[in-house]
Amino acid sequence: MKSLAIVVRDDGYDKLLTPLAFAYLQGAEGTQVDMLFVNWAVLALTEEGAHQQCIQGEHADRDAWVRERVGKAGLPEDIYDVIKALKATGNVNFYACSLAAGIFGVDQDNLIPEASGIVGASWFLNDKAAHAEHCQYF
Amino acid sequence: MNKLTVTRQLDTSGKCCPMPIVETNVAMKTIHSGEVLEIVATDPGTRTDIPSWCERTGNILVDTDETDGVLHYYVRKS
Repeated sequence: MKSLAIVVRDDGYDKLLTPLAFAYLQGAEGTQVDMLFVNWAVLALTEEGAHQQCIQGEHADRDAWVRERVGKAGLPEDIYDVIKALKATGNVNFYACSLAAGIFGVDQDNLIPEASGIVGASWFLNDKAAHAEHCQYF
Repeated sequence: MNKLTVTRQLDTSGKCCPMPIVETNVAMKTIHSGEVLEIVATDPGTRTDIPSWCERTGNILVDTDETDGVLHYYVRKS
């Protein structure tokens, strides 16, 4: 696979793990991965938001247990550290959806440096997703 | 099988997807064409992931073995 576009909508520690793990797999193999964070997930592209990701809902009481298991699996336990590891592959780009950024309070001041910017969804869908070999939505 | 000369061993024991594949990609960049990487793994997902990765990347899965749930993959760099 040469290129992969991923749209991430749902936030929460456990819900972010799968798209990040998939991006890590493909990025490590040389696939160009472009990830657009929309809705609440855009907060994962801020340092505070990334650190604050936790397990919600019916599984909330298992947060610490899951983090421990993630660490044992070899991944960094903190979402921000996972993002840094993905960035280090040199093949993964993170974008914040401008609509989500406006609604949920993400701007150039709190956007993590690993992110490539705040972008319009039209640009991402037409210039990234439409040209990617494969698209995923989480 | 003739005894393989392993150039480098990568031990991913205890780790799970995506780390065995992520670390295999990194390790393969450190060896030369014709050299062999031995990957040690306990993640059952590697049973499909490693052969698939080899086929995709053109590297050669020379041999595999399993002892007490510990998997060994011997991959020759193309």
